[in-house]
Amino acid sequence: MTSQRRSRPRGFLPMDTNLFDRIFIGVVLSVALHLLWMRFVEQVIPLTVATVLSVILIYVIARWG
Amino acid sequence: MGLLPFFYVVYVGFFDWNIFSKVAGLVYTGANNYRRLVFDADFLASIQRSVTFTLWAVSIEMVLGMALAQLLMRDFVGKGFFRAIHALPLTVAPIAVGATWRLLTMPGLGPLPYYLKQIGFDYNIGRYPTHAFATTVLMDVWHWTPFVTLTMLAGLSALPREPFEQAMVDGANRWQILRHLTLPMLRPVILTALFLRIMDALRIVDEVFMLTGGGPGMRTHYIGIFVWRVVFPKTDYGYGSAMSVLLLYFTIVLCWLLLTTITQARRESGT
Repeated sequence: MTSQRRSRPRGFLPMDTNLFDRIFIGVVLSVALHLLWMRFVEQVIPLTVATVLSVILIYVIARWG
Repeated sequence: MGLLPFFYVVYVGFFDWNIFSKVAGLVYTGANNYRRLVFDADFLASIQRSVTFTLWAVSIEMVLGMALAQLLMRDFVGKGFFRAIHALPLTVAPIAVGATWRLLTMPGLGPLPYYLKQIGFDYNIGRYPTHAFATTVLMDVWHWTPFVTLTMLAGLSALPREPFEQAMVDGANRWQILRHLTLPMLRPVILTALFLRIMDALRIVDEVFMLTGGGPGMRTHYIGIFVWRVVFPKTDYGYGSAMSVLLLYFTIVLCWLLLTTITQARRESGT
């Protein structure tokens, strides 16, 4: 596990991560994004936009995080 | 298999399910329960109350636990007896802890209000919200400080003696040894105890329910009690499930952050 983490060049996240960590971070952030969106933005922009943004966010974090 | 109840709760969170409504079965409502949650001022206030309770209780437990562990590392008469007595609250069931503290603090009946009144302090957990909140914190501290002490004690016993002897030879005082040697070397143990206590304190239900029932007013209506009231007396299963999922989400995020800190610290120290 440790050697796998070290062989990969570090991404923009401030810690060593593997693919599972990055997907987990992406999912956690997307849940937070959905909750905040429902609370503050949904009256103006539909929740589907947040879902699309979340998918992009998860991909970006998993790929370059 | 262990994940099955979790997925079931997530599933139910997307439905409206109240056995006393016109439609008794599950009715798919999408993210409506979560939408309702983020606008529920009572729920958001209960999260705030739970976080405040956790901060107070866990901070006191960590400091007190560390101090008692340091004390128990020394030799004194009756050390074994004190250690056994000190660990006793851990063996008591939470519901019994709540019942015991209720008897202790019941206005007009318990010894605590009686003796405090003798010194001129009007202590009443049914009337004063601050007293009720402080008593829930005190009860949690009484119940769980021994856990922190025993964890710290195990960590302290496992530390090598040489660095401490060397520091004493070099003339370091107790405070310097604690700050520069004990605390950094105990960091993983401290973080583990912290991690377990935060998880437990955030989901406290039974002790507080027995002691105050969430009152007076809403002062001790912590998130666990809130979820219980929505799920059981109100039988609003969908909304209760959404709340449980959100509570689990906050707990997982908090624990993940702490776990990352622990593993990063271990990697940096090379242990």
